[in-house]
Amino acid sequence: MKNLKNYLLLSACTLAMVSCSKSDDMPVANHVTLHFNNTFKNTTIILGGASSTTATTNTSAVGQVHHLSELKYVISNIRLIKADGGEIPYHVNDLDKGATVIDQAKQASLDYVLTNIPSGTYKQIKFGLGVKQDVNTIDQVRFPTFYATAGANDTKMMWEWGTGYRFTKLEGFYEIDNKTMSIHTGSTIEGNEGAYTQGVDAYRDITLDLTTVAIVGQRAPKITITADFNQLLTGKTNTITLSTGTGMGNNATPNVHTAVQMLKFVDNLGGNGSSDVSGMFSISKVEN
Amino acid sequence: MQVEKIVGIIVVFILLLSCSKEDDKTSFSFDNPELSLEIPAGFPILNNSVKNNRPTKYGVELGEKLFNEKKLSGNNSISCASCHHRAHAFADHNPRAIGIYGRIGLRNTPPIQNMAFMQFYNWDGNVLQLEKQPLVPIITHEEMNSSIVEVIGKISQDISYQELFKKAFGDEYITPDRIYRSIAQYAYTLISANSKYDQVMRNKDEKFTKSEAQGYQIFKQKCESCHSTELFTDQSFRNVGFPLHSSSEEAGRARVTGMLSDFMSFRVPSLRNIEYTAPYGSFGQFATLIEVLDYFDKGVRDTENLDPILKENGNRIPLTDHEKQDIISFLKTLSDPEFLGSGS
Repeated sequence: MKNLKNYLLLSACTLAMVSCSKSDDMPVANHVTLHFNNTFKNTTIILGGASSTTATTNTSAVGQVHHLSELKYVISNIRLIKADGGEIPYHVNDLDKGATVIDQAKQASLDYVLTNIPSGTYKQIKFGLGVKQDVNTIDQVRFPTFYATAGANDTKMMWEWGTGYRFTKLEGFYEIDNKTMSIHTGSTIEGNEGAYTQGVDAYRDITLDLTTVAIVGQRAPKITITADFNQLLTGKTNTITLSTGTGMGNNATPNVHTAVQMLKFVDNLGGNGSSDVSGMFSISKVEN
Repeated sequence: MQVEKIVGIIVVFILLLSCSKEDDKTSFSFDNPELSLEIPAGFPILNNSVKNNRPTKYGVELGEKLFNEKKLSGNNSISCASCHHRAHAFADHNPRAIGIYGRIGLRNTPPIQNMAFMQFYNWDGNVLQLEKQPLVPIITHEEMNSSIVEVIGKISQDISYQELFKKAFGDEYITPDRIYRSIAQYAYTLISANSKYDQVMRNKDEKFTKSEAQGYQIFKQKCESCHSTELFTDQSFRNVGFPLHSSSEEAGRARVTGMLSDFMSFRVPSLRNIEYTAPYGSFGQFATLIEVLDYFDKGVRDTENLDPILKENGNRIPLTDHEKQDIISFLKTLSDPEFLGSGS
């Protein structure tokens, strides 16, 4: 047994060394930066409180003026697709290494750097808006970094009663009298994929073709992904009118903290998973 | 290439090792006997999770200690037992739960009894396995406002915990899973099935009073379609037109399912020990049982997805004052003094 332990220790050391040297080997040119530009149509969003004069305002298709004071969402399950179709998954089952919270109030969070991407030419990117079900448990021991990022007091991207993460958290104001709008999304499903026993799945898989190929290896490309929050209310799937009450029609209550009506917003932001796999996201440029 | 090969071999080796380690664990024999869960006659089937987490002597002991542990909360002020009082069938007397710093939660504290036989937990059935419940209050802002790593950090300092984890699980490692499992094990042992009602059903010598017997007959006619089985709930979710909560966090069962047909539907509550779990309703809308019955009698709030049984009956359950008194007499026979810790 002792011998075994020694072997194990030795193996672990070797493994550690191998992985260290591996990352040292990879030059900066094997980084890919994902830059998230959160907009209303073509204008990058400036956040602001109820009476802000600097906040970017937007008008929905039905004429509701609105602006945001908080804008956060989770990106995970990132995969880069090579020109030949090969898929390079980026720590898709490790929220600490492969997931992040985009927070419009934190400039640094808008750039997410993927490291050690194999050299090559890439034509497409896939990622999840939210966290896929099999890792969407609040597991602080397994993923302490992501837990801290998501759960930091000023972020609160944990959905306590759902014991999963919030996928998007949007706070803001609408119409002339600045009524509160507060839209949270997250999954409430139970069970395993393909055999869910209850709840709604708010995770959305996004597929975006790159406008020009990203060349990794010689240069470190930067991919700018635009998230157009105009589509929150004026989406490809739903045109939403914020109003009180619980009618389903085209209306939605402005304060969505439960699974009720949530999917309308989810489908607008992240696509409906079938005919629309991009939702509010698009590639605005690729810089090699 | 050579390096990759070696890494591959090492990985396989580690995998093999961890496999055999798992096997060791399951066959690891330490003296922690499984407790036999006495399943009362006529009770519904066990939740499947119980089979994967059978209560053991030390698992339950550990679970009970954790249940009463204030270190589960951020400032060491709140334990599970702070809201779940044994004398109230592990509920309390507040309309809505009061947690850390006096923060008020969304809903009424549910009793903890006969959990092993429930298929849905909480008012909206968001939890299907009891092992998934303990983390919720630990991280909830209005309840314990802590985190599992913080909890482990605090209790791992305590030698009595190290000993109990060892006794319960074979070694002293404190993991989130072990915390959840032991608390669930303790809850599984909280079975209430020795009320006067149970005694009457089991023993021909024990008799209902006249009022209780009449109440039981009325109950069977007017209440049992929802409050059925020996748990006195069919575990379905229904909108019975109770006064509405104003919070945007509340949607009843629809909070989980997203279906408007579930809007403001709640799990039919068990009526066991109901005498001790006032106030009633998902956020304590009714102070007394008579208030609940009066409300049903007068007619409930009409709503699109009102339960069909109520709809068919003009949105009400008509009851005379006498009938109400008899029903309440009967409901009090569902009290189990032994379970409540008040002795019999």
